[in-house]
Amino acid sequence: MSIPILVTGAGGVGKTTVSAALGVSLARQGLETLVLTVDPAKRLASALGVQHLGGEPTANPDLPTLWAAMLDADSSWDEIAKRHASPEAAARLVNNEFFRTITRHFPASQSYAAAEKMADYLESNKWDVVIVDTPPSAGGIEFFTAPTELSDLIGGRLFRWITGGSLPGRRELYNLAARPALRVVDIALGSDLLERVTMFLFDLRTTYDGLRARAKEIEKHFRRSITLVVTTAEPAPVIEASKFFQALPDVAQPPKAVIFNRVLPVAWEKAEAPDGTPRLLARNLALWAREARRQEQVRDEFAARYRTNVAQIGWQATAPTDLDALGSLIADVPALTAKGLGL
Amino acid sequence: MNQRLLIVTGKGGVGKSAVAAALSIQAARRGRRVLAIGMTEADGLAFHLGLERLRYSVTEVRPGLHAMAINRPEALDEYLRFQLGVPKLTRIGPIARAFDALASAAPGIRETVTIGKVLNEARSNNWDLVVADAPPSGQIGSHLRAPRTISELVGTGKIREQVRWMHDHMADPARTGLIVVTLAEELPAVETAEMLEWLDAEELIDVAAVISNRILEPLGASVPVGTTGAVQEAAALHAGIYREQQRWLKTLPVDVQLPFLFGVTGPAEVASRLADVLEER
Repeated sequence: MSIPILVTGAGGVGKTTVSAALGVSLARQGLETLVLTVDPAKRLASALGVQHLGGEPTANPDLPTLWAAMLDADSSWDEIAKRHASPEAAARLVNNEFFRTITRHFPASQSYAAAEKMADYLESNKWDVVIVDTPPSAGGIEFFTAPTELSDLIGGRLFRWITGGSLPGRRELYNLAARPALRVVDIALGSDLLERVTMFLFDLRTTYDGLRARAKEIEKHFRRSITLVVTTAEPAPVIEASKFFQALPDVAQPPKAVIFNRVLPVAWEKAEAPDGTPRLLARNLALWAREARRQEQVRDEFAARYRTNVAQIGWQATAPTDLDALGSLIADVPALTAKGLGL
Repeated sequence: MNQRLLIVTGKGGVGKSAVAAALSIQAARRGRRVLAIGMTEADGLAFHLGLERLRYSVTEVRPGLHAMAINRPEALDEYLRFQLGVPKLTRIGPIARAFDALASAAPGIRETVTIGKVLNEARSNNWDLVVADAPPSGQIGSHLRAPRTISELVGTGKIREQVRWMHDHMADPARTGLIVVTLAEELPAVETAEMLEWLDAEELIDVAAVISNRILEPLGASVPVGTTGAVQEAAALHAGIYREQQRWLKTLPVDVQLPFLFGVTGPAEVASRLADVLEER
């Protein structure tokens, strides 16, 4: 079966670029590779050969072993409803005024949609590896916990209690406002809204069995995945990266490597401006030397604390916009070759 | 930025929490009584204030600077009791759970509880300034729009009466301002431009400032011809980033530029150095 490679890390560190670069590199090593991404910059999307959201994976015209697809959470949720609810309930759900809200409100909505898509593509066996650029989270590992959290929410006591404990699918009208706890909600929201929402929850609950079974399958994919953590040497992303190192072994696999992005060469630490260099220029050069030293220290501390491989990607002034530029980002990084990843 | 409530948003990773913390620190240094509120589950604001995490109850971080984080169950409990008037003797548990479940389906209700807490603190007389570290730009829209969404959705019901003052307080430029933090890079700049357009059309809140973070100074001079190695490379990277940043800065109505910070070792240092920069302005 295809091998999942899950690329995690804080927002803004270059996860999408790293996922794309890894895709190019593995595809060039002859592996059929799919990159599943969330919200790439326009220039990056066109480098990968994908133009619009939600489409089926497409092969890159210049590198046929490289495939890419962009996730559209809303349309993925329509598919999820159709898959897990009866046809009638699914039709009511996707047209329901509350369906969009609940899918967007569920904190890990985009994560769940991405995880389901990932599982579909893995099971189709069309690719050797499926690289997932994991969606941004509110800090932490929500991509990995989303499937269970979602099925717990829908199948949980709460929804059962509100909908009156009847079996899923049984739409039984009863006097909602007669129940004391709901009476207060009724005063707050008005009976009309309360009734509409409750009817909606009836339909939603019918998806529970399907969702729960799917969540278990998705978890199995997580457990056999290769995980990578991307960070920069900035303080806040490094804290996020530590959290991934602490949490990933419990929900997936210990990370294969930490990938430091925007790395300055170690040689810069000794860079001295020649005599006669104008003051501002000399000061700027000294700052970069100091920053290079600090970065190396951050990497060394991280490697020592988590006993992990450190992969480095150099700082680029402009984002890579074509396959060659993407591929060369990680061409020299042994930990990220097919062999380094154990593929 | 003279409003008593500043709501800080921006794309993930641009330094939104750092800027929210810096604004709070700088105001407190000037002797104002400040409350910083984390509106999401992420701990970014806590780190930048030098803490492990924040609680729902207000803690004093340093003289004049207070902080809290909105935790939904507690905010909901408070909302049901004080805004909707659920009697004291009622067991709040089942009501809160039912309300929360229904609120997860009906648009605007959860957001009203969160933004309502922020607005409530802002209109209390406890603070000279309230700074909210808000959800990222992808989710801020539903929060800012929550009062309007509810007045459209809920025909009757007590919550409808509640949202009127929230809407007015937020829309009043004398009292409330939105701070949009961005970077001069493609993705954040494009997302910021889209958000500003949306805000302009919706007329929900005044944009008090667009702040572009991590901006480099000009290199100063080009390196002498014939320079090679690290010096030449560092100068080339600096000049390249500077050029790219200037290009994206032109696409945005930026009010404040904050510098790229070299050599910072922790989030608290980032916030305090940004506060120094704000102080000098």
